[in-house]
Amino acid sequence: MVDTAARKRTLAPWMGLLLTLLGALSNGLPFVGFPAAPVPWISLLLSLIGFVVVLLGLWRAFGQSTVYKGKLSGSIAAAFSLLFLAVAIVFFWDARHIPAESASAPQVGQLVPDFTLWDSAGHSVSLTQLFSGSAGKEPPKALLLVFYRGYW
Amino acid sequence: MPVAISVDAPEVSENLRRKRGYTFLFLSDQKAEVIRRYELLHPRGGPDGTDISRPAEFLIDRSGTVRWENFTEDIRVRPRAGELLAAARAIR
Repeated sequence: MVDTAARKRTLAPWMGLLLTLLGALSNGLPFVGFPAAPVPWISLLLSLIGFVVVLLGLWRAFGQSTVYKGKLSGSIAAAFSLLFLAVAIVFFWDARHIPAESASAPQVGQLVPDFTLWDSAGHSVSLTQLFSGSAGKEPPKALLLVFYRGYW
Repeated sequence: MPVAISVDAPEVSENLRRKRGYTFLFLSDQKAEVIRRYELLHPRGGPDGTDISRPAEFLIDRSGTVRWENFTEDIRVRPRAGELLAAARAIR
């Protein structure tokens, strides 16, 4: 008979689970002023490393079950970390799934096409109008056109 | 002066503007006509498979010439304010 109390606990599944969770949460870093560019990679990498650590824990619990315990807890941690990893991968793929930059989009040095659109108060506004300035206001030297995905 | 453009209806943008306290202009391109003209359409990129704009920023001077621009490869990655302001300061 193996004395279960003598078997060691393995923290690996929990450490791994924590890493995958941190990976998922790190997607929020740009909102707290962190440079956004490396975030997608940090998130994916943390989640992947976390999952490998979880697998190590599972290997200990199942492969070396005479030395380590934690089959059940390891499996639970593995299930959740797999979920977090899946979320990280889906996020990563989805966030980058945008069409290739069109060569015919306005480039630096080119003129942008004029347009007329409705503002949020329901008034019609053209680019030319914006540069001519509104009543009493000096015309702007530059405009920053921010095309965004929308609010939902 | 920033001008935000999307396929959102004016009411949606007005709601967002009020909620967040934004003071800049929001323009509504519900049929994505201008977004298409600027070659920025992301077909079926929106919720429920609607056509939306990809994220893109253009700094243009008074002549309508692009002085700085940014296209992202990842919707989580947006330009940093410092880079943008430096480009804006270069325009006299």
